[in-house]
Amino acid sequence: MAAAEATRQVAPRSLANPVRALGRSTLAAVRMVGSVGVFAVRGVAAALTSPWFLGQLWRQFVAIGFFSLPVVGLTAIFTGAALALNIFTGGGRFNAEQVMPQIVALGITRELGPVLAALMLAGRVSAAIAAEIGAMRATEQIDAMRTLSTDPFRYLVGPRLLAGVLMTPLLTAVADTIGVAGGWLVATRVLDFSSAVYIRNTIDFLQSWDIVSGLIKAAVFGFIVALMGCYHGYNAKGGARGVGRATTHAVVSSAILIFGSDYLLTTLFTHAS
Amino acid sequence: MGVVVLALAAGFLTYSLSVGGVHMKRGNYEINAKFGEAGSLAPGAAVSVAGVKVGTVSQITLEPKTFLAVAKLSIDPTVKLPSDSTAKITSDSLLGGAHVSIAPGAAMDDIKPGGQIENTQGAVDIFGLIGSVIRPQGGSDAAASSDAPAPDASQPAASY
Repeated sequence: MAAAEATRQVAPRSLANPVRALGRSTLAAVRMVGSVGVFAVRGVAAALTSPWFLGQLWRQFVAIGFFSLPVVGLTAIFTGAALALNIFTGGGRFNAEQVMPQIVALGITRELGPVLAALMLAGRVSAAIAAEIGAMRATEQIDAMRTLSTDPFRYLVGPRLLAGVLMTPLLTAVADTIGVAGGWLVATRVLDFSSAVYIRNTIDFLQSWDIVSGLIKAAVFGFIVALMGCYHGYNAKGGARGVGRATTHAVVSSAILIFGSDYLLTTLFTHAS
Repeated sequence: MGVVVLALAAGFLTYSLSVGGVHMKRGNYEINAKFGEAGSLAPGAAVSVAGVKVGTVSQITLEPKTFLAVAKLSIDPTVKLPSDSTAKITSDSLLGGAHVSIAPGAAMDDIKPGGQIENTQGAVDIFGLIGSVIRPQGGSDAAASSDAPAPDASQPAASY
């Protein structure tokens, strides 16, 4: 990120004066938080006010939502299956194998469904957005857009943010279903659970808040993923290398922010309910 | 690929929701068993003879007059149960998950489809049992603790 860049540039001097380096990187970090904040506000304002570019919006819905389904589905089914096996082993240590369906369902809907879907999106979507917008920046297409009096925030950032916020919960709903199905497959095929009992336990146990809180998390994660992609792409500097750096930064920063906000949101939900 | 994932998810969802209702294997016959206590027995639970699964519990209702739980058992038609068989609710583990195990009797005639198992034994309330061991109501232990001075309410019970 910009902070890391700043420290690298002043590396020789920082050996002589570590205090100055510390101050410099702190300032750079604060400056980045501020510029991401301003970027986010501008992006949200562009996403929520008309005129909308409906064609762009639709294209982003398909790119972020539909084409992420395979990778999200695969992640979810293997995670559910592995989770089931692990919980079966753990439960077996105190004769509680029978609560496995409930714990798998809870773990998937509250935590793993949203987080893993968002991480997959961070790898797939955030990188793609950063590369696309970064390449447009490098080839001065964004400046050309402005010359043609098309607001790039409206045309590029807004639709992506909207698609991220709206599509990630839908993907998470699919991931929840497939994840539970993965656990169910292992439980019935490998561990000799009764299929009907497994599903009944899951349905009876889950409360709507378990699923809804996961979907709220997913919306926040979706916003983070799209925002990081847009921000790093939009601010890419220095041609092809800059685009590459923007892609890396987009993925890494969205992953870190996903985990951080996941903990914050979980704390919030735990105290709220 | 996206379509495949969506179809899988939709398929599993509809399957899950359909399992909520009664699902009876074609050809199975149904018998009734009345229990004093059904415990955690739920529709879909297994019915076994000698540990081998021979059917499922398809429905559990309450008989309003006698307050007994009536379980409909859907049994594989190749298994003919003698009319004096015993049905018993057994828990799979300490924390729930119950199934019905049937101990076959020795009578010459079989239970007819739609018939009833007369000998049943309901679920055992494990936590009730544990509770009655660690906090006996009446009996010698209760008498002994009543001899002790009164501040039981603020102190943990001595029997822990």
